[in-house]
Amino acid sequence: MVDLSIKIKNVEFSNPVLVASGTFGYGNEVNELVDVNRLGGIVTKSITLHPREGNPPPRMVETPSGLLNSIGLANIGVERYISEMLPYYEELDTNVIMNIAGSSLQEYITILERVEGTSNYLSGYEINISCPNVEKGGLEFGVDCDLTLALTKELRKRTDKLLIMKLSPNVTDIASIAKAAELGGVDAISAINTVVGMSINPQTRKQNIFTGLSGLSGPAIRPVGVANVYKIFDAVDIPIIGIGGITSADDVVEYLLAGATAVQVGTANFRDPGIGIQIIKQLFEYCEEHNVPSIRELVGAIRDED
Amino acid sequence: MKIEVASISGNKEIARGIWKMDFDCPNIANNVSGPGQFINIKVDPSWEIPLRRPMSIAGVKGEKITIIYKLFGKGTKMLSELRPGQSINILGPLGNMFSTSDKDSFPILVGGGVGIAPILWLHNELNIKSVSHILIIGATTAEEHFLQHNPNKNIFLTTDDGSMGELGTVVPTMESKLKEVTSRSFGIIYACGPTPMLKAIHRITTGYKIDCQMALESYMGCGIGICQSCVIERKNDSPKEHSYGKRFSLVCRDGPVYSADKVILSSRYFKVSGKKT
Ligand SMILES: Cc1cc2nc3c(=O)[nH]c(=O)nc-3n(C[C@H](O)[C@H](O)[C@H](O)COP(=O)(O)OP(=O)(O)OC[C@H]3O[C@@H](n4cnc5c(N)ncnc54)[C@H](O)[C@@H]3O)c2cc1C
Ligand SMILES: Cc1cc2nc3c(=O)[nH]c(=O)nc-3n(C[C@H](O)[C@H](O)[C@H](O)COP(=O)(O)O)c2cc1C
Ligand code: FES
Repeated sequence: MVDLSIKIKNVEFSNPVLVASGTFGYGNEVNELVDVNRLGGIVTKSITLHPREGNPPPRMVETPSGLLNSIGLANIGVERYISEMLPYYEELDTNVIMNIAGSSLQEYITILERVEGTSNYLSGYEINISCPNVEKGGLEFGVDCDLTLALTKELRKRTDKLLIMKLSPNVTDIASIAKAAELGGVDAISAINTVVGMSINPQTRKQNIFTGLSGLSGPAIRPVGVANVYKIFDAVDIPIIGIGGITSADDVVEYLLAGATAVQVGTANFRDPGIGIQIIKQLFEYCEEHNVPSIRELVGAIRDED
Repeated sequence: MKIEVASISGNKEIARGIWKMDFDCPNIANNVSGPGQFINIKVDPSWEIPLRRPMSIAGVKGEKITIIYKLFGKGTKMLSELRPGQSINILGPLGNMFSTSDKDSFPILVGGGVGIAPILWLHNELNIKSVSHILIIGATTAEEHFLQHNPNKNIFLTTDDGSMGELGTVVPTMESKLKEVTSRSFGIIYACGPTPMLKAIHRITTGYKIDCQMALESYMGCGIGICQSCVIERKNDSPKEHSYGKRFSLVCRDGPVYSADKVILSSRYFKVSGKKT
């Protein structure tokens, strides 16, 4: 019998496959297609203090083996999240992790406090730190160790729930950011968010995305994700959740070997909303075939010898 | 909403660059509500083409669905290479539909470019219900038409070069019919096609104070409301500083059919074109 279960902090996951923020809505859109309870967990769309319309279109364009997006954090805001979504999550039999985005330290704190003040069945919070800090001239939290440390500390003080920092790959040294988050007291690191990209139409000479710069995701960034997980694994002692271009169990195993304890599937959901569940089945088969009694054995287990 | 591996029963070029495909997909066919709805096709099992391709449903017969598509880029090319007996992965039915009114409304249906499919389905539905109406379909030249110009049956084809039917775009033909129809009874316009055409149609219907429903396109990442890519701008006279869904609307869930008065049509919004083939 293969054991796919994992545990991060005190949260038990029936398997290590979650769906990534912004690629599975609020988790209730695809009920007719997918039994979400079979997923290891759902990370919901980034929530901000106020509702947000997001950027003008075009917000997305296909690229080789992936896509660029600049949605601009379109979301319903924390109050509607509390009143409309939390009751739904209570009925689910899987882990729901709320992803939070802010434009200032105080905004992250206010959102977290507001949700902590409700009795809820969330399994934890994932903090999207790839957001510009308006108080620091738009410098992203996630590119600066001090900002990351300060943010982590403030949030840690305010919750005992699972707290995850989601890191951006668009930094010089992701390991040092991960260390700052660990020092601040987070329970896990997820990596990576999208990679900065751009696409221009040679015929019209216009940008293909309204905002110009946008975020690359999908299989195109998988090696970038794996490399970043590997670097972080070397630098910290807390669990890592690997993200970037996952489409199959082989991809999951690649991330686990590089040091991830769990993974999130993102862009692949747009092609196949049930891909997460297919991957879980494949993962089971992989473990049987390779005599892996527990998926946990694979974490960081790259073989050096011939 | 279902995902189904459908078996292709027909796929052929019916006019220059315009293809018609039929496939068996009982689960989706049985759940269809009406014209305007679309499906999302996984054209390529590999990641060569990352996203599904949205296509309007052009008709449903029993367990068969028909689409009519225009060769555009690599995805539609790949579609055209599929043969009967092969299968494709379909997600649907998606989106809303044209809301049709009572018998005496005498609607005008206008389709152009890739916007023929939903208009044809509506045309056939209205025929089944014996609702008199006018059908106007536009193309650049005769070879792109697969219907017959037949004014006696209220079917008008237009060509930009005058090689078939009425000379010019669908717009002048629509306007002249509109004059007749408004003198007869109240009319409504159902339209689908390129943005400049829809804009011109809307300008005219506004002048005549006639309702206009349009099936719109946008760039779709998923078709099911989980990616937030497919937005179109709503006409909103009282925008608030903080809102969600008041300024932008998800075409895949709220649409694709909108009342023309409720949205801002902008070509900028969904031209993310690669090379035209
Ligand atoms: C609701 C809806 C219904 C449609 N119905 C029809 C139809 O009945 N018949 C028909 O011929 N076409 C229809 N289209 C347009 C059709 O989806 C595009 O022509 C097709 O995706 C082009 O794919 P391609 O790979 O051949 O072209 P590409 O070269 O990849 O792209 C060319 C253009 O196609 C459009 N496009 C590409 N990918 C997408 C996508 N994922 N979502 C939306 N647009 C995209 C973009 O405008 C792009 O610039 C519909 C679109 C929508 C949104
Ligand atoms: C359309 C889209 C929207 C996204 N929205 C968010 C978001 O709101 N918050 C966030 O932390 N990450 C967001 N992401 C990033 C993903 O969660 C993920 O980190 C990234 O896409 C890499 O994984 P993938 O290659 O499997 O997609 C988004 C990604 C995409 C493609
Ligand atoms: S296409 Fe993804 S939300 Fe509409």
